[in-house]
Amino acid sequence: MTIIAIPAAFDAASFNHFLGSRNEPDWLTQRRRKSWAAFESTAWPDRKTEEWMRSDLRGFHLDQYMMPGLGESSEDTCPQWLVDDVITCGQLGTIDGRIVLEQLSTEVSGQGVYFGSLEKACQSHGKLVEQHLFSVVDPNADRFAMLHAATWSSGCFLHVPKGVSVEQPFHIHSGMSDGGTDVSHVLLVLEENTSATVLYESSSTTPNADGFHCGGLEIVLKQGASLRLVILQEWGDRVWHFAHQHAKVGRDATIQWTLAAMGARFVQVAQQVSLVGEGARSQVNGTMFTRDKQQMTFNTLQFHEAPNCKSDFLYKAALQDRSRTVWRGMIKVAPGADKTDGYQRNDNLILSDHARADSIPGLEIKADDVRCTHGSTSGRVDDELIFYAQSRGFTRQEAVRMIVTGFFQQIFDRITIESVRKALGSAIARQVRQYE
Amino acid sequence: MNNQDFKAACSVSDLKPGVPFTVELDDRFVVLVKLDNDIYCIDDICTHDGGTLGDGTVDDFSLACPRHGAKFDVRTGEAITMPATEATASHEVKIVDNTVYIKIND
Repeated sequence: MTIIAIPAAFDAASFNHFLGSRNEPDWLTQRRRKSWAAFESTAWPDRKTEEWMRSDLRGFHLDQYMMPGLGESSEDTCPQWLVDDVITCGQLGTIDGRIVLEQLSTEVSGQGVYFGSLEKACQSHGKLVEQHLFSVVDPNADRFAMLHAATWSSGCFLHVPKGVSVEQPFHIHSGMSDGGTDVSHVLLVLEENTSATVLYESSSTTPNADGFHCGGLEIVLKQGASLRLVILQEWGDRVWHFAHQHAKVGRDATIQWTLAAMGARFVQVAQQVSLVGEGARSQVNGTMFTRDKQQMTFNTLQFHEAPNCKSDFLYKAALQDRSRTVWRGMIKVAPGADKTDGYQRNDNLILSDHARADSIPGLEIKADDVRCTHGSTSGRVDDELIFYAQSRGFTRQEAVRMIVTGFFQQIFDRITIESVRKALGSAIARQVRQYE
Repeated sequence: MNNQDFKAACSVSDLKPGVPFTVELDDRFVVLVKLDNDIYCIDDICTHDGGTLGDGTVDDFSLACPRHGAKFDVRTGEAITMPATEATASHEVKIVDNTVYIKIND
């Protein structure tokens, strides 16, 4: 018997094997090859650039992980929280880049909506995908973006045709086994005068799992489109999470984007909302709750490229143990984007002596008639508060949970989906550390 | 002292006097400094802004962060010069048969 070893590491041989194992259109193969060449000729980000200055990548070893889809299949399942008590109209689930669930209600598909595998859409909706794929996220932003553009696998594509409103949410789940790799790409395209809700969560098979996520999320909202997007990140404790997420919001379109980041040992996310059409609106809400030695870095940008747009941004982080968060946020206003109304705020709640939150807001305004405001607060929990709660019969853990939940209430109040509020509340409860 | 807590980090011959040497131990980076006949070990993290001390310079018993100049006492991890104000962790060192063992102090 001859045993053929299948290359699986992130090297040229594996990449060629990866390409050979896929039946993809030429335009996509060429794009992948171009991105791979860029990846091979580029160094990892160093700490001299502002975005990576506070990020220590020395512990990240790419050779510990395998090219997506080339390793062994995992039989395990991953927990999911956003679908509890929710009736969805479509679901897409993957583990280590392999599709394990794909469904869409006939009622919604009958309206011309596509929701499902991005790989399949490259065949069935080739022109549409070719037009939008990496039209919003820059595939050359950094070496992780290049790697992602070359090797993305088992992504999701949502296309809502003109004039269609979908009431029930779509649900996307990315799962990863211990030591697994997830290089999923999510592409959401809402045509003119449409509306949709997307719940997107990620989790590992075990709470302390290792893994590598190198993801991309791009959103195209055309005139009058409206999207509610919720992201819950609950990877295992040893996962490295890198992502580029970018929304382009057209004329009179709106996006409400809520994210909750709880898991992973290291998180580095570049999140951008570009308001490209007059009257576009965005609301971005973020909750981070960290523990142990987790580090989460979010580089965010609200880019006002057109007049009369409004962006509202609120990130709240609660930190335990020796964890660290870094938020570097920028509001940019392009020349001519008058009557801009931009707001950004970051609040941090420090729950231990050794936790650390870096908050770096910024404004870059090149128009004359604008209103842009920003603010940041960082503070410790008053020990008397915890003592008082304990004196009323609560454990320290319960007291911390109550205080943290109260701290995040401002975000909860902005979420209009009851099940999401409940899921985030549960996520916070899981993340509160055990006190001896 | 429980010998099981000590982990092999490097060989004594890897260390040059007064030159920081960075080692990864269980997902943690520590920096070793050999001065005279003693070897010291502290976290490879500047408590000011998370910089890498392993790229810094040693002067007497202090190790300076190359980013903003904060200095740490390699014997104790104590921050001795601004802008760092908080000590970085220091770890126990022992040498057996030319191998340097470290016990991580959490």
